[in-house]
Amino acid sequence: MSAQLAATDPHEVADAAGHDHGDHGHHAVVENNFMGLPNIKLAMWAFLGSECMFFGSLIGTYFFYHGKALAGPLPQDVFSIGITSISTFLLLMSSLTMALAVDAMKQRNPATARNFLVITALLGATFVGFQVYEFSHFVHLGLKLSTSLFGSTFYVMTGFHGGHVTVGVIWLSMLALLIHKGKLNPAKLPINVEVAGLYWHFVDIVWIVIFTFVYLLEFIQ
Amino acid sequence: MSAAHHDHADAGGLPHSHKKAYIRLGVLLTVVTAIELGLPFLKAYPDIWMPFEPVWAPLLVALSVFKFGAVVGEFMHLRGDRRIFQFLFLSPLAIAVIIFLLLGALTVSLFLPFGEGIAVTAIDVKAGYVRPTKSSGAEPPLAEDKFKAAFADAKAKNFEAGKAAYDKVCKACHGDKGEGKAALGFNLTDDCYKYGGTFKDLYVTVADGRAGNKMPAQAGALKSEEIRQVVYYIRSLKGTNVPGGQPCVGDKVAD
Ligand code: HEC
Repeated sequence: MSAQLAATDPHEVADAAGHDHGDHGHHAVVENNFMGLPNIKLAMWAFLGSECMFFGSLIGTYFFYHGKALAGPLPQDVFSIGITSISTFLLLMSSLTMALAVDAMKQRNPATARNFLVITALLGATFVGFQVYEFSHFVHLGLKLSTSLFGSTFYVMTGFHGGHVTVGVIWLSMLALLIHKGKLNPAKLPINVEVAGLYWHFVDIVWIVIFTFVYLLEFIQ
Repeated sequence: MSAAHHDHADAGGLPHSHKKAYIRLGVLLTVVTAIELGLPFLKAYPDIWMPFEPVWAPLLVALSVFKFGAVVGEFMHLRGDRRIFQFLFLSPLAIAVIIFLLLGALTVSLFLPFGEGIAVTAIDVKAGYVRPTKSSGAEPPLAEDKFKAAFADAKAKNFEAGKAAYDKVCKACHGDKGEGKAALGFNLTDDCYKYGGTFKDLYVTVADGRAGNKMPAQAGALKSEEIRQVVYYIRSLKGTNVPGGQPCVGDKVAD
């Protein structure tokens, strides 16, 4: 298929390619590449792929050094299952509200999408709040970045994750604000919200892994 | 692929809403998470826990893989999306998993003797610091022995430092051996605590003080490293039941 075709008749191209996303209507305005796919989405998936390796290494490193701390409190001394479960639940729910925002936008319903984005951002911000509390509590118990291998690997891993959540909160808030003010090209809105959603869900799955492998496995050993 | 998906877009060109499916999935993921969270609590029931002991960890991993797949496949819509997206995400994910497993394999093979040492150390630390044994004085020949020696060294240093801090600050009220003194300080050698006996509980007791500072807060007087060491030291006193100690105040703790 040719690029011109993709630009002039997105419906046909998309269907011919078996594209089942249903978000056909706006392809003419979104910058598509020669495959008829939105570049921004392609870029996001490529980025998330690289993020897999990034977090994979951080989590792997945590395990590599697990149980080799020479000083300071150990994971079982500081972890609290209560706090972690609350923040896990918050992030899980935020993934649901994010999916609902994307869905609402595909239904061309920006007001609903905006509301779900706001809820998602609030849940994310609360998650970050819990992490700040958790970190300060751990420091109070004598676990600092430089205390031990546990301290270093734990803070670097969860800190990078928290940083990603923070970036996501800012992104989603900006998006909600811009939708609210009507500053974004309506034709591009669905893809913008969808791509933000991809990032947000990714941050959630990283936490799914950290929660299970770092926290829960610690408790059942 | 296409036939099944043509009904995806209705006459107005809008895709069908997935709202219900998303909410259903959200509920399912919540249930799975609740099960995961329940597992650590199940441990309190050895009758159920012990017979299936080898199952729990793999079960946790399986549940987490399920959640991972559900979010990526449904919420992120990767299942049934274009091949190129699947390729872009899944191939680096495979690399990440390989890195993870390799690191795991390295930990097991390179450090097996070391790893065993660690396991013992972890138990020692949980039980409180073990008194250092006299070393033979010979230079440890292997890397892992050096690690072990470093552990023993760190433990001994912690123990000595903890004891020193105890003798300086706590002895006056809690006695030479932690047996306690009437009206001054509780017995620290029994297995009974008013404020809890975990590392966290003891740390908070010592750092922040208790009973309106009758047990004085040490956060200002001792560095956090010293508090930690003294906590490890008093954990090692637990269960030594020095004769003539003060009576139990509070609850007996199992661990
Ligand atoms: C001025 C006397 C005094 C000094 C010094 C003191 N304590 Fe205490 N400590 C007390 C008293 C009194 C209590 C009981 C508080 C209460 O009545 O609830 C107590 C309680 C405790 C408990 C709680 C035990 C339980 O049953 O939960 C711990 C642990 C403890 N002290 C550790 C220490 C350590 C470690 C030090 C030294 C860093 C220290 N104390 C120094 C007086 C003292």
